[in-house]
Amino acid sequence: MRLWLFRLPLKHLKEFPGRTLLGIFGIALGTAVYLGISLAGASALESFRRSVAAVSGKAQWRLSRPGATLPEELYLQVRRLPEVRAAAPVVESVLDLEGPDGGPVLLLGVDPFAEAAFREYELEGEAGAAAWEEFLSRPATCLVAEPLARRRGLRSGGTLKVIAGSREQELTVVGLFRSPGGLYPLEGAVILMDVAWAQELLGRAGQLDYIDLIGRRPGEETAATLRKVLPPGVEVSWPGAQTRQMEGLVASYRLNLQVLSAIALFVGMFLIYQSVTLSVVRRRREIGLLRTLGLGAREVLVLFLAEGAITGLAGGLAGLFLGILLAQGALGLVTDTLTSLYTPVAARRLVISPALLVQAWILAVLATLVAALVPALEAARTRVRAVWYREELEEVITRRARRLAGGGAAALGLAGILAVPEAGRVPIPGFIAAFLILLGFALFTPVAALGLGRGLLPGLRRLLGVAGDLGCRYLSGSLSRSAVSIAALACALGMLIAVAVMIGSFRETVNLWVSRSISGDIFFGPAVFSTAAYDRYLPPEVVPELREDPEVADLYLYRCVRLPFRDRFVLVIGGSFDVLAKYGGMWFRQGDSVAILQEMATAAREGGPAMVIISEPLAETFGFREGGELELPTPAGPRRVQVRGVFYDFRTDGPSIWMDLHQFRRLWGDEHLNAVRLYLRDQSRVAQVQAKLRERYGGRYRLLALSHQDLRNGILEIFDRTFAVTYALEGVAVLVAVFGIITTFVVLIMDRERELALLQALGASRRQILGMVLVESGLASFLSFLLGAGAGSVLSLLLILVINKQAFGWTIRLFFTPGIYFHSLLLVVALGLVSGAVPAWRAVKPHLAVILKEE
Amino acid sequence: MQSRFPGPHPGRIREATRLRQDREGEMALIELTGVSKVYRRGEVEIAALRQVDLSVAAGEFVAVTGKSGCGKSTLLHLIGGLEAPSRGRVVVAGRDLASLGERQLTEFRRDLVGVVFQSFNLLPLLTLEENVALPRVLQGVSYARAAAEAREWLAQVGLTDRRHHKPHQVSGGEMQRAALARALINRPAVLLADEPTGNLDHATSRQVMELFAALHRKEGQTIVMVTHAPEAAAYAQREVRLRDGRVMA
Repeated sequence: MRLWLFRLPLKHLKEFPGRTLLGIFGIALGTAVYLGISLAGASALESFRRSVAAVSGKAQWRLSRPGATLPEELYLQVRRLPEVRAAAPVVESVLDLEGPDGGPVLLLGVDPFAEAAFREYELEGEAGAAAWEEFLSRPATCLVAEPLARRRGLRSGGTLKVIAGSREQELTVVGLFRSPGGLYPLEGAVILMDVAWAQELLGRAGQLDYIDLIGRRPGEETAATLRKVLPPGVEVSWPGAQTRQMEGLVASYRLNLQVLSAIALFVGMFLIYQSVTLSVVRRRREIGLLRTLGLGAREVLVLFLAEGAITGLAGGLAGLFLGILLAQGALGLVTDTLTSLYTPVAARRLVISPALLVQAWILAVLATLVAALVPALEAARTRVRAVWYREELEEVITRRARRLAGGGAAALGLAGILAVPEAGRVPIPGFIAAFLILLGFALFTPVAALGLGRGLLPGLRRLLGVAGDLGCRYLSGSLSRSAVSIAALACALGMLIAVAVMIGSFRETVNLWVSRSISGDIFFGPAVFSTAAYDRYLPPEVVPELREDPEVADLYLYRCVRLPFRDRFVLVIGGSFDVLAKYGGMWFRQGDSVAILQEMATAAREGGPAMVIISEPLAETFGFREGGELELPTPAGPRRVQVRGVFYDFRTDGPSIWMDLHQFRRLWGDEHLNAVRLYLRDQSRVAQVQAKLRERYGGRYRLLALSHQDLRNGILEIFDRTFAVTYALEGVAVLVAVFGIITTFVVLIMDRERELALLQALGASRRQILGMVLVESGLASFLSFLLGAGAGSVLSLLLILVINKQAFGWTIRLFFTPGIYFHSLLLVVALGLVSGAVPAWRAVKPHLAVILKEE
Repeated sequence: MQSRFPGPHPGRIREATRLRQDREGEMALIELTGVSKVYRRGEVEIAALRQVDLSVAAGEFVAVTGKSGCGKSTLLHLIGGLEAPSRGRVVVAGRDLASLGERQLTEFRRDLVGVVFQSFNLLPLLTLEENVALPRVLQGVSYARAAAEAREWLAQVGLTDRRHHKPHQVSGGEMQRAALARALINRPAVLLADEPTGNLDHATSRQVMELFAALHRKEGQTIVMVTHAPEAAAYAQREVRLRDGRVMA
């Protein structure tokens, strides 16, 4: 095939710049959203990976105890083991920086003499030795990483205010350090302290968080030997495993975002399909001529595919640039969400992965080729003389409408087969089902347009006269031009409605869950919402003082640790179950909550069998059931415990295992508390008691005292922030579709300019013509809404009952949200009317003769 | 082809009575005085018509002839109220078109003028019957009645068995006959035809022109036809020749 022939598609793309640009825009936006989200997610994870790598340094192995500290003596023992070449003790905590641009900061308490083999720190300036001396000899001194110092304008000799545990502390900066490889945890928000001063600051005298090791022998040998000699409960792990666990934790979150971002690309495909179809129709003479001159069917196919590919290449390329810009904005949102939900992440720098760029570009080109394939095949199959005329194409579509609807029904049937809720699996079949639902409803478009046009014709003819009559006829008679746009808008609307119904239902479920599952009048502790709050303790004097308070009827005590469990992190929580049994506060899938909690409280107090209750996401992820058993890692080694119940849980920072506090303390040997709930004698005095707590403890500690309402609002605020990205993604898909519908009507009216002029020449008034166009565009938009609402409703069921269950293990109750239906109807019909009226108004301007002038 | 055109429909506008009186009094139905039409293409002015004076009596069949670009179609468009002259006065059926507002112009085109185009200009979406019925529907007549009238007109032009076909399913001659039926269904005072045989073969052209002649002969229909085909012009009573926008004879 001669290259020269490719001038033809290029010329056609240039001939209709508006339509070409629309196709490019649709694909560019779709690619940009997909790439932006992928880059932001990858950058956030890369930042976490760098954090882990920076903290691990050259460590081969790490000793730790699940959800507990190690005794300091263990370091001395391990260091002397013949298998160990080097060992370094570490105390670690994520503190909060004080001040307006606060945020998390990683405190590493290290032994500078042991560190050299593991991590390198270059001190800035010439006073290196003096800085080390001060670092070791003076309490509350620290070295600050250069990036953090730069951001906050810190210098040697200055001070840094942090919140450690429940106290505000002032640290003296004795120097700044640089990591030679430029590798910093939390994007440089890191401070170093001598291990002893860090233990003092954090109230962990004689305790270490972990010990890093370098063995004398490579591979697993060192670990295997260590496991034999270490006390029970001490685990030997590879430091990089954290990254894997983190990736497992956020995998569903990332996959969901990626699939949602692909919706915009899917909508963009409709625009390409429409563009190439219009091109085939417009170029019927040219195709016929070329075929007459000897061009083969395959060459015709290639020419039309080339047209799609050019759009895909250009749109994809533009999408890459746009995607990088979008990723900069999305990075903040994704980082905030990961920090709210999972673990502190401070990704500030976008990591532009060439692999992701190529992947997004290839995806864009493939999407356009797939979209262009059907019309290109039609063009290639057509015989020399029989290339479609518009009217013939209309007839083809009308004839095929039922067959297409049959295909739609088949797609929905297949979606039904794929949409089987199977917990704990990546919801790929669920996502395929989602696309099949969208496709299924899209394929109903021709039959629905024919039905709507014909069905409403008698009524609208009576009501609006000729405008209603012709409007209905045009709706059912212009499917070659309008059906794809109607379908594209319906798909985008369907996703919007589905996501809105899912989020609305989820929000209501969470609201209900807060009411049913979280009892207590005041929640009091160092950091009620923070994901890094496991090592922030309530000062020991607080509980006895609160017990003395005559206004407090009961106290619920709470302790939480986070530990690796299989390939995930889980929260292990100890709580006062007798109090929960009295006031309520667990919503079980099966069984009576009071009976379960009382039985567990009694067993724990009296040293009965070890029992736990687990959250629904944990049960769904690993297939645990009520009455079954699980092996729980504890500081004293793994323990088999009975699963007494499964409760609904919407905490997003990971699945959780709960037990009575007595049992927790027996297993963990840990007397700390992270928070308490206060049950007041007089519930009308919540505000006064909050004020009293602030007054009593505010001067000494940083403790939050939230009312039940505050907690509910806080939870819903985190919820809304989390789903802001989702709404933004859907907004883009709708934007792409809206551009599609506007362009469709502009093209439709321009194509029909001659017909409109003819109607005027025959005596139709401008009002009649405008009315006709408005009836058509109004009905087309209404039809998009109807199909979108149908697809959205089915999709919302899929998202709620299948995909969420598979991805996160949550049971969401379906709450009907009529608002989204009403708002999208208004938006779409208004847009449809405007996008029809504007070109129609231009078309009825008095230049009839020019339009009617014979060719 | 035999043609027998249907009589006036019951709802025919009162205007017809007055027009018949005009015809009886041999008054001019169409009067163009000093009409010029200039188009602007950017900086360039193109004069399509220059100082044209023309008078067409009621019941007259006039052929306007001339080479391509001489202003024939423009003349027709001015008479049909499809565009306005740059200078001069166009009076049709006693109405000075320049004095008519948009709404009155619409009514003028709808009630007093019928147009037949070279490329038929049928709406592809509608069947032939619906196309023919359309002007009556635009007048506000019920669709059932308009369709009934359309069937009568289609019978007159020999298209009864084609009435449910869409335009692309019939031949050029059939399309033009349907277009003629559509132009006549409102019993217009003036029938304007713009190269009605331009897209037709010789035999079909003859059939169509016979229809025009019968219409003129039997109904006294005023017809202004633009054509460059001498055989078509031969059917007219009078030939008006245009050259470079001026009337030659």
